[in-house]
Amino acid sequence: MLTFLRGRTLSSAIPLLVVLLGVFLLARLTGDPTALYLPESATPAQRAEFASVNGLDQPIWKQLLDYLGGVVRLDLGTSLRTEESAAEMALRAFPVTLSLAVVTMVLAVLGAIVVGSWAAYRPNSMADRVSSFLSMTTASVPDFWFAITGVWILAVVLGVLPTSGTDNGVLSWVLPIATLMIRPLGVLTQVVRGAMVSALSAPYVRLARSKGADSRRVVTHHALRNASAPVLTVAGDLAVSLVNGAVIVETIFGWPGIGKLMIDAILQRDFAVLQAAVLLTAVTIFAMNIAIDIGYALLDARVRDVARV
Amino acid sequence: MVCAERRASLTGTKAAVAAGLAAVLCLVATACSGPGVAPADTVRIVLPDEPPTLEPCDASLTGTGVVVRSNITEPLIERDPTSGELTPLLATSWSQTAPTTWTFTLRPGVRFSDGTPFDAAAAAFSIDRAVNSSIGCDVQGYVFGDDRLVAEAPDPSTLTVTSPAPDPIMPLRLSFVEMVPPSTAATAQVRQPIGTGPYQVASWDAGTRLALTRNPGYWGSPPGFARAEYQWRSDSSVRAAMVVNGEADIATGIAPEDGAGELGISFPNNETTALRIQATEPPLNDIRVRRAIGLVIDRDGIISALFNGDGAPAAQLVPNGVIGYNSSLRPEPFDPPGAKALVEAARADGVDLSVPIRLIARTGLFPRVAETTQAIQYQLSQLGLNVKIQMMDNAAGLKYQQRPFPERTGPYLLVIQHGNQAGDAAFTVDQYLRGDGYQSSYGTPEFDARIAAAEALSGQARQDALAGLFAREPEEVDQYAYLAHMRGMLARSPRVRYEPNAATGDEMRLAAMSPAG
Repeated sequence: MLTFLRGRTLSSAIPLLVVLLGVFLLARLTGDPTALYLPESATPAQRAEFASVNGLDQPIWKQLLDYLGGVVRLDLGTSLRTEESAAEMALRAFPVTLSLAVVTMVLAVLGAIVVGSWAAYRPNSMADRVSSFLSMTTASVPDFWFAITGVWILAVVLGVLPTSGTDNGVLSWVLPIATLMIRPLGVLTQVVRGAMVSALSAPYVRLARSKGADSRRVVTHHALRNASAPVLTVAGDLAVSLVNGAVIVETIFGWPGIGKLMIDAILQRDFAVLQAAVLLTAVTIFAMNIAIDIGYALLDARVRDVARV
Repeated sequence: MVCAERRASLTGTKAAVAAGLAAVLCLVATACSGPGVAPADTVRIVLPDEPPTLEPCDASLTGTGVVVRSNITEPLIERDPTSGELTPLLATSWSQTAPTTWTFTLRPGVRFSDGTPFDAAAAAFSIDRAVNSSIGCDVQGYVFGDDRLVAEAPDPSTLTVTSPAPDPIMPLRLSFVEMVPPSTAATAQVRQPIGTGPYQVASWDAGTRLALTRNPGYWGSPPGFARAEYQWRSDSSVRAAMVVNGEADIATGIAPEDGAGELGISFPNNETTALRIQATEPPLNDIRVRRAIGLVIDRDGIISALFNGDGAPAAQLVPNGVIGYNSSLRPEPFDPPGAKALVEAARADGVDLSVPIRLIARTGLFPRVAETTQAIQYQLSQLGLNVKIQMMDNAAGLKYQQRPFPERTGPYLLVIQHGNQAGDAAFTVDQYLRGDGYQSSYGTPEFDARIAAAEALSGQARQDALAGLFAREPEEVDQYAYLAHMRGMLARSPRVRYEPNAATGDEMRLAAMSPAG
């Protein structure tokens, strides 16, 4: 297992480094933030001072080395916009996104298992067709459209939910979670259904049935366990993509998470905050990928065997 | 109670399911009465963005000024947004006591919210900090340029301000300087200021909410609401929905299609939209081509179809009410045949009209900016011009809007929006019409001399000279194709009494709000 872990860690660390370098360089290609932060008629001396104070007058390679040195020292710089520590801003925002993502994925996986297994248990039945239609529809709906429509129907027309914000306890979570969950739920339901159809027609399931095992045990103890590996893989990929959805959800619903922080940092050319937010997100995804790989290996001995080879 | 009783009568799995359903029903029931309930003494405002800072010397930035100005901090003098007149605030009177010196008498008995007395020394400190320091105050560039001022306090109630050259509008310029106590950092900006205004900062939960409470030591009448809460939502339809749903009392920056319905209020916002023509680049360096661009834009059509009729065709960069506005100017007519004739004349003289011209606009500059840009592109294409749209975000667009402009760009047209909140056209012509103006792409030495002469005048002579500049610019320079004098829109809850005005977008006075009924 240690060999397996070492290999996965090394292979995941390379994309992490590429992401950090890419964000660092691409952010600077979008332009000089001076015009956004200095008065319109700032003198050349004031502009030069701004660039010097913020290290923007240094060659790119020097800025990159300074940044990487800062990462090693856990000093991620200061926000140009608010003059706060970029790391503190990212750490303050991150739990908001993390809690949204965790709740979303737990509900999406549970919902997908229930609906997908139910559809697979009676393939081509009316229930199967309805669940397939709904899951494909939800997987295709644009999340920003779903969010705005949800606000108008549930908040404005029916008045049962708040439009946005975090002030109303559990109710504040409903629309953001529903918006974030809709696509993973649709995709995962299809994955669960496909995996369960295969598993339920496998010889070991037929054997279990012939031995008289009841249907619930066959589904939950035999088929579902073997169908869970592809579900876990897809769920992992979807969890990573939740960061994209978080940008939209946090922007529309006013949640102060890492997605909103990133988009604001991009628009304001606030390099330090953007880099801190990306670093934190990338490290989390990196850790999550490792955890998924471990879970995958625990579920499927063939994966461990391949890793040993 | 009902929820609990139902739970007690069931057991096992069914009980769990019932409990879950009951919990959901209870939550929904709570929701029906939950969102939208606010303390009667609190006004809730939702803005498009969180203020980047509350630094008073950055109050000329819209995002900061809308919260800070006249709420937390105050200037010596304020400008009536409707009449344009200067009225006393922390200064009770002022006069020009020497060609380069103005003297102000300060209001007695005023204290900052931390208890520090407001006096001439504090006023001199505030002016020095905002205008002469190197802390990068936005007001410094926007209002004062490179001028350094000498502010002195001969006695606690008298302030003198001396400029390098006679400045007939010094009081107007000083209406942009917010007063802060001498304890404020002089070498760095502050995020949360102390001021003399009717409110003070209670809490700032970064990313979520900013709360102000009444300043108990305020020198004027106590404001109607004891507390103000600001939130921010990027999406304008969500901001409108918050007011409709009773979660906010005022939502700014909304558009007619956002669904505020009868709660939406349109108001003049001093903004004027235009196309700035990069007149240094062929074929735009030919004045016939520039004039043709002005003639082929269907202003009435754009205002009617895209702005819901909320706006007026523009013939100059400032609206009525600003000193220097020329009331005799009429918008250029929509004259495609005339425009075509001008273009053909230029083509006959060898002007290459096949050169690609970029039509650059910033996303979010005003509602339906993308559709407006598409309409203009279509109209320009009817002239035979090869125009391509390029939408940019704020930072990228500013590179083309402010000097130094990018080099070797080829010809481009820039959709701009200018708001003169100062009330004097000098602030506009300096930046947008002077040849080396910070946001001007082109000019002539002769026209620059006219600008300098006009700015040195005062009274009616100043009004006439500035108005004359707007009349002559199309003949001598023709750098702009004006579009419209715009109007803003906000959503207002029935529980609040507030009338927006031309300054609302930059300075939303909480003291002007009160509970309705």
